[in-house]
Amino acid sequence: MKLERSKEWWLTRARREGDATVGAGLLALDAKPDSHTGTSTGAAEEARIAFGRFVNLMRRRRGLSVERLAELAELDASEILIIEDDVHYVPEPRTVFRLAQTFQVSQPRLMQIAGLAVVSDAGLRQEAVRFAARSEALQKLTPEENAALEAFVAVLSQEDLKKVK
Amino acid sequence: MTAETSTIYLLDKVVGTAVEAELRDAIEEAQLVDWQTKWQPALIVVLQELARQRVPMAQWPQSWHWDWRAKMTQVAGLLAFRGFSVLCAGVTQGLMRVDLNKHAREPGQKGKPLVYIDYLEVAPWNRTDLGKTARYGGVGTALLSAAVELSLQEDFKGRIGLHSLPQSDGFYRDRCGMTDLGADAQYQGLMYFEMTTEQARTFLDEENGV
Repeated sequence: MKLERSKEWWLTRARREGDATVGAGLLALDAKPDSHTGTSTGAAEEARIAFGRFVNLMRRRRGLSVERLAELAELDASEILIIEDDVHYVPEPRTVFRLAQTFQVSQPRLMQIAGLAVVSDAGLRQEAVRFAARSEALQKLTPEENAALEAFVAVLSQEDLKKVK
Repeated sequence: MTAETSTIYLLDKVVGTAVEAELRDAIEEAQLVDWQTKWQPALIVVLQELARQRVPMAQWPQSWHWDWRAKMTQVAGLLAFRGFSVLCAGVTQGLMRVDLNKHAREPGQKGKPLVYIDYLEVAPWNRTDLGKTARYGGVGTALLSAAVELSLQEDFKGRIGLHSLPQSDGFYRDRCGMTDLGADAQYQGLMYFEMTTEQARTFLDEENGV
């Protein structure tokens, strides 16, 4: 199909478009948070603050951009951005599994703080809240954040050791 | 079938001049590759900038949570449909997919066949709702023009229909003169618009615009 129109014809319409963003159809619709983003209890939310903060600090400590981490973990960069910023977001199990593998921490424990499993361990919950309170999502890791991260990584690794015993 | 190419002109919004572009009556592999490798990273950059500036998520564009995998799978299906694309500077600037099996709802043309635009999207750098000046203006209009032209060729007399994105409602209603048929509960509440034969004539024929 060929459209034969003058240059002025096209430009008149381009100018008329102005600052409008043109789009149509469900496929073009920017998706809103889906079923993975549900309402959550206070406890789960507290844990997920720690989850997002944990991913953010681990990524920065390793000097990774969001895109690089996405590449390493074989995840979508957009999902990592959401995990780091949105406490309501509940990721897919595969996402948590990949992050646990990438950061070399216990997958079951990371599942708990990500909201995919019930936080059965009161100690873990306390540690998660403590970690979230001690860390701030700033550009560079402060010594305090580093210490908080170290302590939390140790807690995340503990469970596996206990199971082995 | 080989894609046919029409020469069109867009508005380069950075320098304010006309720029030659192509309107193709197909969506091919190269466009899907652009969609995945150029459109997606461009959107990620916008999201990262918003995160850096500590803009509250409530103020982020709706696109903050695209499920890229699912969307890519859906777009891959475009190969099986009649598609159109706009290319400029060797890069895909906009995509459209149409369905020729739908019928009009507007009372004056109810039941008559039309070209239904079931997907129309412009590249992230051509969107003004992402907080920056668009690179090229006229991409969406060019695709819409192609839909009207196709409707004439199919003897649908210029009739087209579409479900508008929320940020585009005003464009279809006020600048294209389409009839607003209200929110459609079957399409996540998107507004449904139709262009009648008379509206299409006005849209296509006016050399100086509305």
